[in-house]
Order: sequence, then C-alpha cells, then structure tokens
Amino acid sequence: MPELPARVPTGLVAQLARHGPRYGVGVLLLGAYQVSQYWFDTRLRVAINDALGPHHSRAVWLGIALIAVMLGAAVVRVLSRVVVFNAGRDAEYELRRELEERLLELGPSFYRRMSTGEIMSRVTNDLQQVRLLLGFGVLNVINTVFALVSALAVTIPISGKLTIAALSPLPLLLLVSRRLSHEFYTRTRDNQAALGKLSARVQTSIAGVRVIRSFSLEDAELAAFDRTNQGYLDRSLALARLRGSLGPIMQVTIAVGILVVFWYGGSLVLNHELDAGGFLTFNRALGRLTWPLLSLGFVLGMVQRGRAAYDRLRDVYLAEPDIVDGPLPEPAVVTGRLEVKDLTFAYGTNQVLRGVSLVLEPGRSLAIVGRTGSGKSTLAVLLSRLQPTPRGAVFLDGVDVCDLPLKTVRGAIGYAQQNAFLFSTTAARNIGFPLDDPDSPESIARIHAAAVEARVHEEILALPDGYDTVVGERGVQLSGGQKQRVALAMAFISDPRILILDDPLSAVDARTERGILEAIDRQRAKRSVLLVTHRVAAASRCDHIVVLDKGRIIEQGTHAELCATGGLYSIFAEEQRIEHELEKLGRVDPEEARVA
Amino acid sequence: MSQPVIDQRSDGQKRTEKILAAFHDEDRFTKSYDGRLARQIWRFLSPHRGMIALSVVVLLITSGLSLVRPLVMRDGIDNAVLAGNRAALVRFGLVFAGVLLAEQVLGFVHMYAMQIVGARAMSSLRREVFRFLHGRRLSYFDRQLVGRLVSRVTNDVDAILEAFASGAVNGIGDVVRLVGIVVLMISLDWRLSLIAFIAVPPVALFVRVIRKPMREALREIRARTSRMNAITNEQVSGMSLIQAYGRQDTARRDFDDTNLAYRHANVISIKWEAIQDASIDMVGSVCLASIIVALGYRPVSFGTVVAFSAYLSQFFEPISQLAQRYTLVQGAMTGAERVFGLLELGETDAEPKAGTGPNDTGAAVSLEHVTFSYKPGIPVLTDLSLSIKKGEKVALVGPTGSGKTTITALLLRLYDIESGTVRVFGDDVVGLDRHALRRRFAVVPQDVVLFPGTVAENVAAGEIPDPSRVRHVLERIGALDLFLAREGGLDADVGEQGSKFSAGERQLIAFARALYRDAPILILDEATASIDSDTESRLQHALEELLKDRTALVIAHRLSTIREADRILVLKTGKLVEQGTHDELIRAGGLYAKLHELQFSREHTPQAQSGEVVATA
Repeated sequence: MPELPARVPTGLVAQLARHGPRYGVGVLLLGAYQVSQYWFDTRLRVAINDALGPHHSRAVWLGIALIAVMLGAAVVRVLSRVVVFNAGRDAEYELRRELEERLLELGPSFYRRMSTGEIMSRVTNDLQQVRLLLGFGVLNVINTVFALVSALAVTIPISGKLTIAALSPLPLLLLVSRRLSHEFYTRTRDNQAALGKLSARVQTSIAGVRVIRSFSLEDAELAAFDRTNQGYLDRSLALARLRGSLGPIMQVTIAVGILVVFWYGGSLVLNHELDAGGFLTFNRALGRLTWPLLSLGFVLGMVQRGRAAYDRLRDVYLAEPDIVDGPLPEPAVVTGRLEVKDLTFAYGTNQVLRGVSLVLEPGRSLAIVGRTGSGKSTLAVLLSRLQPTPRGAVFLDGVDVCDLPLKTVRGAIGYAQQNAFLFSTTAARNIGFPLDDPDSPESIARIHAAAVEARVHEEILALPDGYDTVVGERGVQLSGGQKQRVALAMAFISDPRILILDDPLSAVDARTERGILEAIDRQRAKRSVLLVTHRVAAASRCDHIVVLDKGRIIEQGTHAELCATGGLYSIFAEEQRIEHELEKLGRVDPEEARVA
Repeated sequence: MSQPVIDQRSDGQKRTEKILAAFHDEDRFTKSYDGRLARQIWRFLSPHRGMIALSVVVLLITSGLSLVRPLVMRDGIDNAVLAGNRAALVRFGLVFAGVLLAEQVLGFVHMYAMQIVGARAMSSLRREVFRFLHGRRLSYFDRQLVGRLVSRVTNDVDAILEAFASGAVNGIGDVVRLVGIVVLMISLDWRLSLIAFIAVPPVALFVRVIRKPMREALREIRARTSRMNAITNEQVSGMSLIQAYGRQDTARRDFDDTNLAYRHANVISIKWEAIQDASIDMVGSVCLASIIVALGYRPVSFGTVVAFSAYLSQFFEPISQLAQRYTLVQGAMTGAERVFGLLELGETDAEPKAGTGPNDTGAAVSLEHVTFSYKPGIPVLTDLSLSIKKGEKVALVGPTGSGKTTITALLLRLYDIESGTVRVFGDDVVGLDRHALRRRFAVVPQDVVLFPGTVAENVAAGEIPDPSRVRHVLERIGALDLFLAREGGLDADVGEQGSKFSAGERQLIAFARALYRDAPILILDEATASIDSDTESRLQHALEELLKDRTALVIAHRLSTIREADRILVLKTGKLVEQGTHDELIRAGGLYAKLHELQFSREHTPQAQSGEVVATA
C-alpha cells in the first residue's frame, strides 16, 4: 500500500472520489457478475427445453458450461465484494485517522463542549454508519441496479406482461423493508443502551459495595438490578421478535409475487405463450431479484443514517483548535526565563486571574501560594498554554509564548498535574510516558530513578507485578496519593527547563511529603521550579513566594519576609506549624499503604 | 494490503506488549464442551422445560416442512406446469406459498420460544451472580477489578445465551434435516443420489477449511474492536496529558497501530465472508446445472430434477451450520466456566457463627481487646478496648491512619477481627444476622455515595420513599427548601454518581438518609473536603438534629462537633491514647490539645471565596 499523504480529504464525496478507481473496478466486477447471471438464465431455458425434449444429450455440454460459468461468476462475486468492502474499510481507516489527528489538535474549549462519551459515540457508532454507507451501501446500490437490469433482460423477452405482474408487489416490498430497516436500527440501539445501563448499574453497585453493606441495602440493590435486568430482557426480546419476523414478513410479500407468477404465468403456459423452460427460467430470474430488492429498503435506510452520522463527524472535523503553534521557528536554545506580565484570565464570565505579574529567572524557584479557588492552578496551566493563554501576557526568554511553537513551550515548561490521569498500561509505561522508548533498559533505569525520587518506587514494587502491573481504570486502582506521585515521577522524567508542580503534596502523608520536598530541592539544582501549593513547608524552600487570593497577588517575598508581615501567608504558616506538630505524632498511614 | 512485516520493536517493547496482550486477552474463547458446566446451565433452563419442549416440537415440524417443500415443487411441476393443468397450477401455487409461509411462521415461533427461554434463563443467572457478589466479604472486593466483575454479569452471561438461543437446540433440527434429505434423495432416485453424494466430501472439506479462519477472523475482530474503543476512550480522557507532554506523535502512532490492526482484522474477514457468501449464492445454480448434465445422460421427470436440485442445495446448509454452532457452544462454555467458577467462591460475608454469649452492660457498642489487620502482619488495631453507653455521643479523633474508620467498619462487621470481641447492645456481632446487625446503625460516610435514582429515593435508601416522611426529614435538617428549589424537586434525578450535586448537598442527602433510617446508633464520618459557607451552616444545623436522642459515634474534624460530644476518644496508631471531655483533655495538654490549637487557628483565618472553578486542559 502506498504511503498515505499527511492529510486525506474528509468530505464524503471527496472520500468516494479518492477511492474512485476501486469503486470503478467494483462496478465492472458487479456488472460482469450480473452479465454472467443473465447468460446463465438465457442458456438455462435452452438447456431445460433440450433436456426435456428428444435431444436430451445436447444438454450435457451446455450443463457443464453452465457449471463452469457459475464457478467463474463466484470468483467475480468474491472479488467484487473484496474490492468494494475494502474500499469502505480503507475509508473508515482514513476517516478515523483524521478524527484522531483532529482530536490531538483540539484544545480545552472543544473538550469542554463535547464530553468523552459524545466523542466516543462519534468515533465508534457514527463512523461505523459512514463505513457501511461507503462499503455495503455503495455495493448494494450498484448491485441492485445491475441485478434489476440483468433480470429484466431475461424476463421481459420471456413475457413483458408477466414481468409487470410479478413486480407488482415491489412498491409494497420497498415500503415494508424501509419500515423494518428503521425499526431494526432503533431496536438494536435500544438494546445496546439497555445493556449499557445494566453494566453501569452493576458497576455502581460494586463500586459502592461498602455503603450498601453499611445500610444493609443488598435487597434494595437486587430489586433495582431486577428492574434494569428486566429492561434489558424486554429490549433483547423486542429485538429478537423483529429479527425473527423479518423472514416471515418478507416471505409473505414474496409469496404474493409467486402466486401472481403461477396464476398468470400458468395461464400463459396453457395458451402456449410460454414454454416450460421459459417458465422456470422466469422463476429463477425473479428469485435472483428477491434479495437485492429486499435489501433495497435497508440500503436506503443505511444511506440516510450514514449521511446523518457523517454530519456528526463534521462536528469534530470542522472544530477549530483554540491553541495552535505560533508563527516563530523553534529557537535553538531555551534558557528558561519566564515572565508573566499583567495576566488577566476568565472562564466565561468567571474572572479567575486579575493582573498577575511575576518573573522566574533560570535556575530559581518560585512558589505560588493560595487557598482553593484563588486561581493558582489556572495560572500554572496558562504558562505552558494548556488553556488559551491571552497574547502579550506570558513570555519565555522574552518571547510571547503564543508566538512560539507549542512543542517548544511545552518541552521547556513541564507540568505535573494535580488530578493525575493514568493510562491503562503498565506502571513503568505510565511513568515513562514522556519518553520515546519507555521499554529500553536505559529508560527502565530512569523510570525507577524517577519513581524513587517521587517516593512511589516501593509502593509500585508492592503491586502484584511490580512495574509490570497494569494500572488505570481497567487495571489495579491506585490511591489518589499514589497517582499523584506517579504524575510527579512523570514530570521529573520529562526533564524540562522549567518544572511546574501543581500541588504535589495534596494527597500524601507526612513522611512522603518530606521525601518529596527533598526531591524538589534536588530538582532545583537542575532547573527552575515553580511550585503551586498551599503548604508553607514546601513554599518556604523557594527563593520567592507569591501569595494569590481571588486572582490577585496580595503579597510576595521570601518566607521570612512574609512571616514577618502578618498577612495571609503568616496565618497559613502558623496553622501548618501546628498541623506539622500533630502529624509528627502520627505514623505512616496503614490504610494508605494498603492497596485498595 | 498486508501488515508491515518488519519488526522494529525492541526486546523491552515486546516484553511490555506481551504483558499488555495477556491483560487484554479476556475475550478469547477456548473452552470445549464440558458436561459439568452444561448441567449447571441446565439448572437455569429447566424451569422453562415446557417451552423448550414446545420449541423442539415446532422445530421438528419446521424441519419436516422444509423437507416437504421440494416434493410439493416436484408435484407442481410435473402435474401442473408440464401437464398444462391450469386449476392444478393455481392450487400448486397456493400450496407452495402456504408451505413456505407455514415454515416461516413456525420457524419464528420456534426461534422466539428459544429466545424467551434463553433470555429469561440468563436473566435469572445474571440475577444470581449479582446477588452472589453482594454476599461476598468486603475484603474480596478490595482485591478485584471492578471491570472484570461487571463482565461476569454482562458479557459472559450473554455468551451463554447466544450459544443457547441460536446454537444447541437448532443442532437437533440440523441433524433431522440432514438425515431427512439423504433419505428423501435416495428414495427419489438412488442412482442420481449416489452421483450427488460424490460432492459431499469436497463440500465438507470446503466447510472445514473456511470455518476455522472465519472463526479466527471474527474473534480477532472482536478483540480488535474492543482495543480500538479502549484506546480511543483513553486517549480522549488523557488528552490533556498527551498535549502537556507533547506526546502527540506517540499517541498518533499507537492509535494508528490499533487502527491498522482493526482494519487488517476486518479485511481478512471480508475475504472469508465474501467466499462464504459466493459459495452459498453459487450452490443453487451449480446444483441446477449439474442436474441438467445428469438429465442429459439419463432423463427422469423434470419435477424430480427440480426437487432433487432443491434438496441438493439444502443439503450443504446444515453441514456448515453445525460447525458454526459448535463455535458458539465453545463461547458458552468459556463464559459458563468463568461465571460458575465465580459462583463456587467461598468468602461469604459475615456468616453468623457461635460467638461469646450476650453480655448486657448497658453499653450500646463495645470493643473488647480487639486486634485487626487488613494485611497479615500489619496490624491496624492492637488490643483495643472501648465502650460507648446508650445515648452517649462520642467523638473519635486522631491523625489519619490511626484506625478511626476501621473501628466503625468493625462495628458493622464489614471485616472480621483477628481476636477480641465486638458487641452491639451486648450481643457479640459474630452471632448476629448481618442485616439485623447493620439495621441497628445509620451511617454517614465521608465520601457520600449516591445511587442512580431520585433525591427522594436516595433519602429513603432502599425503601419505597414515603413522600411525607422524606419531606419531614429534609425539613428537620433544614434542607427542604434547598432541594425543592431545584428543578424536579425531590423527584429530580441525581445523575451519574450524584454528579449533579455539590459535595455539601450530597452530604445533606446523606444526613437525611441517616435520619430517615432512624436507627438507634449513628456513625458519622465528617467530611474534610472544603464546602461552601452557605451549605456549611446548613450542615451544622443538620448535624444537631441528627445527633438528637441517639447514640452517636462521630469521626470528627470540626471543633464545634467535637465540643458537642459527651466524651472524646483520641486514637493514635490503633491505640486509645486519651479520653475525656474537651476541658479535661485541654488541661492534659496532650495530642488533643494540639489538635484543638490547630482547629482554633483555622477557624480564625478568613474564609476563601469558594465556588471558583479551576479547570485544567
């Protein structure tokens, strides 16, 4: 397969055109197949009349030729399907690839607007509908037209009147199958939704098992489960009923056609307007039409759904990324001087930051201290443009970060998340996420070192398979504190010029906190560190401290200076001094150490 | 069109991928037929014996009709079409259409009866598994992956259903039809039959050859589809991380690998499905043409020829169907093995056993020399004794990990202790029925769990909500106006895991739940999370209501709550280190005094503006 271009067209027509040659071959193959069927039917009439007549031995060679042609036709049929369906699959592959491409570019405003569930439904269900349209739909539309032509070419010469009579139930058939197709689609969807509801029910129930026990709610849970279970049972039986009745309903419609042929065709035979071979051939040609005509309603439904699904895909294709590369080239060196000038930022109407200015010189450390909701985390994510940073507010080495390539900004400014997300892969690969080859021996050594540094090494070793344990949503669940430290190890390993740590101590116990603070001290020797925290113990180690309240800087200075002023920081300091005393009385948390 | 063949992966990468492959490998079906498992499945099917019998009878009739149809055709062609008998022709048309219709309708009856039986049986199996899970010890869940347990109840049970509904019983029909066709063909014309049977070995061989790769291809598609969905979900969920670390290239590559593998699996299946489709399509024509050849040599009645060709084309269907059904049975056996394997698990939750006899000392609850650990060798509580009098309000304080929450879990017998005795109203908890024991308590956990349903249903927790009582308890805790003001009022849906409510509101619902339950003992684990000031003051009021006239054990984090208590128990590393009233403990100047100093300082710092949203990318 030739290398794909960087971007392929995502338009529906453009996709059809892109795979045009293959669809063309498909058309030729389908045509050839229907021609062979036409040939078979017309020869069959001769052969039957021969075999039933006095020169029956003449039928032998004709029969053999018929077999040979049918074998050949089967090969053509296989090829036609392979060619067209593969084109559909290729289109699906390319459209999905483009979706991924787009999803990687889109920023927070898109992900706020569209939930993971909605995106998933587009990448799975909607894309599938589009694929069906581009594969199965295309094939069947072409095939139905050809089959109709080829069958009519057989039946009309035999008897035009009989043809019209036989096709009389066609409109009814179309109507019925169209209706059934719609019904089939809805019931399948309902059935899937009911199954999803059942899974969710079981999931919540197992996740909440402790509370259920405490309240002795087992019976109530079972009753609730019974209702959901019954819902699923009803939906699946409704689907089964429809699936099962497709045959009978279709056969009734066809039976009408058969009766017409026998009643009217029989009388033609009696009037010698039709010979036996002709009568039987007519029947076969009609039979050949049955499936394409039956499926027509389904195909029409498929085309309609495919187009609707494609419109939903366009929501993703046409979404505008809100954070894009700046126009400047990648600078040769980044020294890492970070300056924030009069930064103001709002989520919608909610003003989060108001005129914040600060400087972080290379190799220095800065702490941003504030309560929950003071805007300190927002400030942290704006520095590396993880949110749409306003122009003229954040400068890296004197250059507006909005003018730099994203790669430069995010490579220089490493950000360790507060609410760490883990991928469902091994613990080693999660920590080694920023590395190109996380499985090489050198990487493994770095991963272990980073884990030791982030004080999570021992706990990872205690997992069932150590670093090879699959964690994340589908794997072994880590505690909040463990996740946080994995995120910290990840940040250490990424080796940025400026390291931003967003509240790395919010879910760890005292001893671990001490270890991490020492690790952060070591990090300061290698790079600039910006520490977002509410802990005075952590902030006091930094060269400079900025205190944020309601989006404004209310005080700044060194630890000693701020303690002396008696402001918000000194209150924090006093509060936490006592807390620290108290913690000293505690020990390592055994519940925390226990792997949930 | 094929996969890239050059393997550029490093050894380490291959190793990790092997681990991940083993982890994701749950979907493969390998188990062959197992009589023991079949009997266990039968246990759930047997209540529907009558329906199954009906279905089998109808199936036999349907199979019979499909055997009769070609005979009707022969009769019609010979006596009506070729004889030129108009009346016979119309009669034939009617009979033929009638047989066709009867076959279809009865086929529907059979299929639907089987679906009903299968779906109902599996619905009860599903219920059984669910009920069973809720009867296991809590420690069992500490070790399990939630996702795996969910698939026991859903996917594995569905695999059994699939095999049953379209597999097992239909096999009987296949065999009957196969035998019937052979007998009828021989009786129609044994010499022609012998010629026809020459085709059987190659067809059987063809079916065999095509079946296996098709089955493999379908399995592969199933596995690849679930990988495709998983990676999409994960990348979308972890997008902020991918973007923060600039890992788009790796993400793109991983996604593309999965996307390619998904397409590859489908492309393979397209080939085999196309071959199967063309073969089915071809059989009729080739049979017809073969008969013409045979006729050329040896003329017989044309009707016989047509009937013969019809039998011939029907002949191959059951052969390939039988192979397909066996695959489904394999799937069912794998599912059954997992499901019934689970049902054999012991670890029953809190089974009543002979404990020490009742010892009524007037205490509501007491722990006597209790030692307990979650993991052997790491004791959480060591030789702990404490007792709470009826009507007493006790605050439990201490640093994290001192065993506060564990004590409450042991009172409810969520875990079994290693040594010592836990008593509730003088009764040893091990001697009580677990439901009877747990109904003596109302619990407000630190992390409130809301169940799918309405506010009222969550307040009534497991009972059919009595609207006036729900209103009454919400009124008492002073939160009725808050919930009534919301859209939908008390009948508003709480959303996925209570996502529509703030932490404070969820806390209020939990309080109302405890009040609604009206149990003699209250266990309250105060939330530490920051709560907006309005809800905070409501919570204070609600708490007072809740504690009124009740024995209460409160894991307290707020000074005000602690001050209200009759007695304070201070815990450190699983041991009781101090107890007494607030004033006594302050005077003692120990751990509690330090804790108090901290709280005092906190309550004098200005409250930060809450409600601001901090979102990360």
